[in-house]
Amino acid sequence: MASPLPQILLDGFFTGGTYALMAAGMALILGVVKVINLSHGAFLTLGAYVAYALADRGIATPLAAAPLAAVIAFAFGVFLGKSFVNPARSHPFALPVGTLACALLFEQAAQMVWGPHPLSIDAGDPWIGPGGLVVRRWGVVAFLSSAVLLWGLKRVLSSRPGLPLRLIAEDEEIAGSLGMDVEAIRYLTFGGACAMAAAAGALLAPSGAVTPTMGRAPLLLSLVVVIVAGMDSVGAIFLISIGLGIFGSACAWLLSPQWSYVAMLAAVCLLLSARPAGIVALAGRRD
Amino acid sequence: MRNAAPFRGGWPAAGIGLLLFFPLSSPDAFFLDVFTTGFLLAAFAASWDVVGGVSGQITLGHALPFGAAAYACALLTSLAGWPLPLAVAAAIVLAAAVGAGIGTLSAPLAGPFVALLTLALGEIAHEAAVGNTFFSGPGGYAWGGEGGIPLTLPWRDASPFLSYYAALAFLCLASFGMLRFSRSGAGLILRAVAGSPITAQASGIPIARFKRLAFTVGSAFAGAAGAGFALHVGRATATDLSLELSFQAATFAAVGGRGTIVAPVVAALVLHVLFQGLSLPPSARILLYALTLLVTLRFFPGGVVGTARDLASRIAGREGARPPGRHGRNRNGEVAR
Amino acid sequence: MNELLSAEGIGKSFGTTRILSGISMSVAPGEPVGLFGPNGSGKTTLVNILSGLLLPDTGTVRFDGKEISRLPLDARYRLGIARTFQIPHPYPALSVLEAVRVALAVNASKRKEDDGTGEDGGPTGDLLARTGLFNQRFVPCARLSQGCLRRLEFARALACRPKLLILDEIFSALSAADEADLTALLRAANRDEGTAFLLVSHNPPLLKSLCRRILVLEEGRIVRERKV
Repeated sequence: MASPLPQILLDGFFTGGTYALMAAGMALILGVVKVINLSHGAFLTLGAYVAYALADRGIATPLAAAPLAAVIAFAFGVFLGKSFVNPARSHPFALPVGTLACALLFEQAAQMVWGPHPLSIDAGDPWIGPGGLVVRRWGVVAFLSSAVLLWGLKRVLSSRPGLPLRLIAEDEEIAGSLGMDVEAIRYLTFGGACAMAAAAGALLAPSGAVTPTMGRAPLLLSLVVVIVAGMDSVGAIFLISIGLGIFGSACAWLLSPQWSYVAMLAAVCLLLSARPAGIVALAGRRD
Repeated sequence: MRNAAPFRGGWPAAGIGLLLFFPLSSPDAFFLDVFTTGFLLAAFAASWDVVGGVSGQITLGHALPFGAAAYACALLTSLAGWPLPLAVAAAIVLAAAVGAGIGTLSAPLAGPFVALLTLALGEIAHEAAVGNTFFSGPGGYAWGGEGGIPLTLPWRDASPFLSYYAALAFLCLASFGMLRFSRSGAGLILRAVAGSPITAQASGIPIARFKRLAFTVGSAFAGAAGAGFALHVGRATATDLSLELSFQAATFAAVGGRGTIVAPVVAALVLHVLFQGLSLPPSARILLYALTLLVTLRFFPGGVVGTARDLASRIAGREGARPPGRHGRNRNGEVAR
Repeated sequence: MNELLSAEGIGKSFGTTRILSGISMSVAPGEPVGLFGPNGSGKTTLVNILSGLLLPDTGTVRFDGKEISRLPLDARYRLGIARTFQIPHPYPALSVLEAVRVALAVNASKRKEDDGTGEDGGPTGDLLARTGLFNQRFVPCARLSQGCLRRLEFARALACRPKLLILDEIFSALSAADEADLTALLRAANRDEGTAFLLVSHNPPLLKSLCRRILVLEEGRIVRERKV
């Protein structure tokens, strides 16, 4: 039996690259809105279910599902940002617990609508590459879509349209005194980041099972990515996501999917206990 | 300014009186059970309030000491053959130790990161419980996984009446203990640390040590509730360690009014009896809890107690000077800094 | 050495910005010292390093002969170094009385327990009376005026019977009455209890009237030392 290593690497590479889209969204929320969005995983799940719903109606292409999921998630995200996140921002209690509530709300709603059992999308036959390597078509498409979108994000952030975001991340008072509508930028960014998570979810849907709680592990993964890679470099986020994707893939293959979830949990605990500068900076800003 | 106002003497007594007489009206065994579990969950909610309300350490992993105690009771009685009282005592000690560990890890962290860390720790424990088939018990069934581990109890079938009263007595005792703690010198220091860590530090308070104390005490009481729960159900199951359970504790406290100990107890009882009494499926219940929390956070941020206080002071005519809500907001709604 | 507090070679940078370089200074027991300097000179950073809120990049801080450079804020308070904040962060949910009790709790073992209402000349009542807060002891801290917040800062700092008070702009933007009361309080603490202090201010007449020696800080260095 050939070593599963190349397959692990390949699968992890593609899924990790797609998760980067979600992680970048988390970075935007942490940097601009300055909250830990525990509902981020639920938005990924939303995207996946949108993809499933479309597939159920015969449109089994994530390239159609992703934009639709993004629009729906953007609407929800803006609503959430405007009505809840923005007003509750200064309350240390309301935000983690409130965003968790949103996540649980969605998980349970999804379970009631689609049931708790894993659903899958038939995405067509994969290519068989050299050495029996299975290359899933949609894995490649997802990876490329994510890379393109992230490249676009990087361009936007480093040019004029991205200036308000960077400024708010740096110093909100200055941004406000320059006449920027900081509140609006915040909830729009929140909505946009949720849209990114949903797009990632739709893109990833064909490569695995769709369940109501599928977003929990990716939520932690995106947190780990942002803690390790920081919020400044899209490129670093992309690379670390790929790394974690490979690591998660290895865990899932060699042990079990539960183990990759536990590994992410353990990573979060270790990182928080070691307190890299990123966390200290974020915590410091709040005071 | 003490946490006194809405619970002047009479109300708790009246409430306890009602609860004492309830079983004598010959209700269905189902409802007795609902109330019994309600009492235990209410104690659990109060224990969350010690950590998250009085001490301001938002924990989203409070099910960890709760479930750890449940599993300890199960393992010690069924596997190691310990007598029940010893197992329960050991379970509570374990829960306190778990709390001390959580407190040590989370002490250097600020607000949302404490929530994140405790969430992760709780989920690790949950996954460990779900994923582990422990050993085969007598009869060849595998123990562990979602189904959990049974306890070996000295009684065959507990009378629902006895369980009800025992749980009620436990709730009253535990709440009393937690209330005394929150009003003690240590409790005052914890509230100071919660309100303004920098000022507390500048007053000579070793912050980390007190944060650890908060977690230890809160977790000990959570463990007691968890042990009680395991005794009542007869098993320790993976849901005892679930994120949903941790979330419920935070919800009860937020709806009632954080920091008061008593209000979370009442909120827990009301919500649990309502949702479980209507025989709603677990999905629907969790969904409703989440909705209730969101509505509370958005429109009644101080919980029932906070909102009642606001109303009372407005009725009393002190329009121009709203007393500080949970976060010390002044008239303009800004956080006092 | 006869110095209560001594700092040697203190340097601190934030990123690439050098805030303090080569600060060496000392405060003798019971000595009233002033720290003067324009905005941005590093006064608050120096105060934060001396009180334990910040760690210096280089240099050492000694108190009563012991090296304390890495001791945190609360440990220094327990040793007898108390500081006040320019912008107080009052406890949102505690009353004035409770806030003072918290500060006293640390040293509770050194004195008998007081009854908790601040009456009857217990240590809490004393402190409240000295700082003029007795009549407001049940008021929530969050509702205090600026002047009363400063008084509360004083009460909190004095609670440990400090050997050294580090006061960061405690007199700025105060009413004349509050300023008069608090300066009298400071003088009394210095005279009657031998409490040394380091007073940060950009009010020269005030510094001259209260301090025996004034250090002038400019762009992160001590450029002048004047005896009054």
